[in-house]
Amino acid sequence: MAYSDKVLDHYNNPRNVGSLDKADPAVGTGIVGAPECGDVMKLQIKVNDSTGVIDEAKFKTFGCGSAIASSSLATEWLKGKTVDEALAIKNTDIVNELSLPPVKIHCSVLAEDAIKAAINDYKAKASTSKTAGVEA
Amino acid sequence: MQYFEALGLEPRLTLDAADLQQRFYQRSRQWHPDRFSTKSAPEQAQALEMTALLNDAFRTLRDPVARAEYVLSQNGLEASTQRGKDVPADLLEEVLDLNMALEEADHGQITRSLAQFEQMQAAVDSQLASQFAAWDAQPTPDTLQPVRASLNRRKYIANLVRDARKALDS
Repeated sequence: MAYSDKVLDHYNNPRNVGSLDKADPAVGTGIVGAPECGDVMKLQIKVNDSTGVIDEAKFKTFGCGSAIASSSLATEWLKGKTVDEALAIKNTDIVNELSLPPVKIHCSVLAEDAIKAAINDYKAKASTSKTAGVEA
Repeated sequence: MQYFEALGLEPRLTLDAADLQQRFYQRSRQWHPDRFSTKSAPEQAQALEMTALLNDAFRTLRDPVARAEYVLSQNGLEASTQRGKDVPADLLEEVLDLNMALEEADHGQITRSLAQFEQMQAAVDSQLASQFAAWDAQPTPDTLQPVRASLNRRKYIANLVRDARKALDS
């Protein structure tokens, strides 16, 4: 099966590969996996405290070309969005942008799961630090 | 479960390979389409159908991983469904770290990593063997779920073994 040009572009020139400091309270980390193919995807966001906008997004994916392209595209879309806007990103948006065939749709689902996991992690951190602030 | 029934077996995760092959050969002879060439059209169709089923059943059941995946899928625990995605976060982090180490490793390190991955795979396989026995003794969702978790882990380790071998070949 042939990959679309956009998948190949992201696969050959992945955007935003790397890591952010997991311990930073402004950073949310999502690690998700697809056991049926053995893919693992880590996606991280860094949120600007005052604006609530995602300043930085990084990913590291071990998997097929579609999984890499889906997470690469996701990090591109995340930058500049607010957390709530980011939550509105759907796997179908990724499928359409990358023209993923039906057998690769689960790769886009993985990317959506990774976005949600990273945002949940960020929100959980933000709420604990606020609680800690009130108590202090 | 159709594949087990076709070979006259009770659904079991632990099977005797020689017995399985014998059952397959015996039933394949019995249903061989050549023996039905003078029979009626419905009988010929049935022979063809049975032969195809026996082939699928044997191919699936002779491999322990494929056999377990079949039993899991028949019990709503396919890897692709949400209930099947039983991958603990620490395993994913471990796999991520191992993959990253593999990316930066030299030949000697990869050789050592490969030995480590193969050891991990052997450990999962022996764990699977006892989980198979547990489900065979008491086929319940409680004894089947651990099989799902181990197969998920096995898939990740198998990929690491594959990637390490590929890195050594290149």
